[in-house]
Amino acid sequence: MDLILTIQKSIEEHKDHNAFCIRHTYYTYEVFGKIISGIRYKIQKSVDASGHIIGLVTNDDIYTYASIIALWLEGKAYVPLHPDFPENRNQLIIEQAEIHTILDSSQHQTFANCSTITTDKVSCSTIDIASKEVSSDDLAYIFFTSGTTGTPKGVPITFDNLTAFIDAFWALEYSITSNDRCLQMFELTFDLSVLSYLAPLLKGACVYTIPKDEIKYSYIFELMEDYELTFALMVPSILQYLRPYFDEIDCPAMKFSLFCGEALPLDITEEWSRCVPNATIANVYGPTECTIFCTDYTYKRTEPNKAYNGILTIGKDMKNTKTIIIDEDYNEVPVGEKGELCLSGGQLTPGYWKNEKKNKSTFFFKEYNNEQIKFYKTGDLCTVDEDGDILYLGRVDFQAKIQGYRVELSEIEYHARAALQKINAVAIAFTNKIQNTEIGLAIESKTFDTSELLNGLKKSLPQYMIPTQIKFIDTFPLNTNGKTDRNKIKEQFL
Amino acid sequence: MNITTIKEKISEILTAILEHTNFELHDELTAKDVDGWDSLSHMMIITKIEEEFGIRFKLRDLNKLKNMGSLITLIQSKL
Repeated sequence: MDLILTIQKSIEEHKDHNAFCIRHTYYTYEVFGKIISGIRYKIQKSVDASGHIIGLVTNDDIYTYASIIALWLEGKAYVPLHPDFPENRNQLIIEQAEIHTILDSSQHQTFANCSTITTDKVSCSTIDIASKEVSSDDLAYIFFTSGTTGTPKGVPITFDNLTAFIDAFWALEYSITSNDRCLQMFELTFDLSVLSYLAPLLKGACVYTIPKDEIKYSYIFELMEDYELTFALMVPSILQYLRPYFDEIDCPAMKFSLFCGEALPLDITEEWSRCVPNATIANVYGPTECTIFCTDYTYKRTEPNKAYNGILTIGKDMKNTKTIIIDEDYNEVPVGEKGELCLSGGQLTPGYWKNEKKNKSTFFFKEYNNEQIKFYKTGDLCTVDEDGDILYLGRVDFQAKIQGYRVELSEIEYHARAALQKINAVAIAFTNKIQNTEIGLAIESKTFDTSELLNGLKKSLPQYMIPTQIKFIDTFPLNTNGKTDRNKIKEQFL
Repeated sequence: MNITTIKEKISEILTAILEHTNFELHDELTAKDVDGWDSLSHMMIITKIEEEFGIRFKLRDLNKLKNMGSLITLIQSKL
């Protein structure tokens, strides 16, 4: 497997370079390689060849990262298990993925009912990181995402998928070298973490992590300034937190500043561009099902940028992905028309883990360029323009029907945010006591008189789109992936 | 403003935001020791302190807040 071979070579070639900086402690590639070797011996001793799927307790330490590489060298996949997630949820994942063995670097074993390999302080005097024979269909990881029915659904990603992603990522030319210093701000249960550690490791660069007990946004800022980070992939919510402090931020060392995971507002991107004056800023997009991300747009500093309702375009499909936009009957819509974005190509997961029902409803085959191709329905409402740039309009399910009219919540948000200037607002469709759909607006602020806001909205929106309930929330809750938690906000209206 | 007054004000702010009084304001107190003091409520507490004391923290100040003692010292330095 070439990808694993590249990791091996990178570790061997960059022995005296730093691989990680965790809590201000550096670990060289040599130290990293030795820890990987030690953990791999433990895996060889304790897990028989048939055990392909291994749980991983996601601590923020060198042993956890080394465990991922050790598993890959042995041709095994990891399933991240967050020690702070509810026990029931983790148990559901362990059962679904049929996990029998868990790698854990914690002081006290996190999961009592599984055989646990302790990885804390494991090392080895020599480096032995030659990979076993690993097939390209073997799984690299399974990430569990929230399912609408309450049971998490597993998204397995093969080494083939991951290779296609890395190939397409390098083709974007957001190049990383062994001198780069790269941010890894994500929980290991979120697949954006994979790019954040893997791309630097493949090039001999250094990965900077965020300790779990630190306040994320201010710690990111300190890393960017004190260590002069050169590469950062972040969720746009971080910008919302940092925005009041933008005038204090000046990071000329930043070369690439990427955003993914949520809609990226154009106005905040423009303001951010002054904080990272020399950086290429990019908006990338993609669901876990299509391996990390699969479309890309480079922000233009000196020309107008494309946006819809104030949200920056997600650009064009990357090298190994094919995108189409379809109507409800699975027909491609003409340029400029709205529809559901569908993805296909080398990055696409083989399908949800042991979930035939969900696979049937989410994946479909369609003839494309005289070939039957498997597509994945993203649930994202998009439109494509004549240049082939995709504009994100919102979730298909953010689309609400109010009094028979189709309403895009993102459109209401756009007008509300414009009227509120720098205050964040989220529109929610909820079912009221008499089972009608109502629109609520949550405003991230102290209480104020909203008559002016509502009068303003009435000037740009039809009556049925005007929010009927308004709630003030001091700070919007974030989910564990660092995104605005719309479900939690919705609860305030129920 | 003397330390006792600062502490009283902080105590009122914590009570208002966290909705309980199960904490004692000694210098070594950290967020981890107090129920409900997570990254979300932290942001709210910081904003409220800025408002009540009429001060403005720098982003860099926020990382230096390792415990209650450092918070009180920081507030004093801004008054």
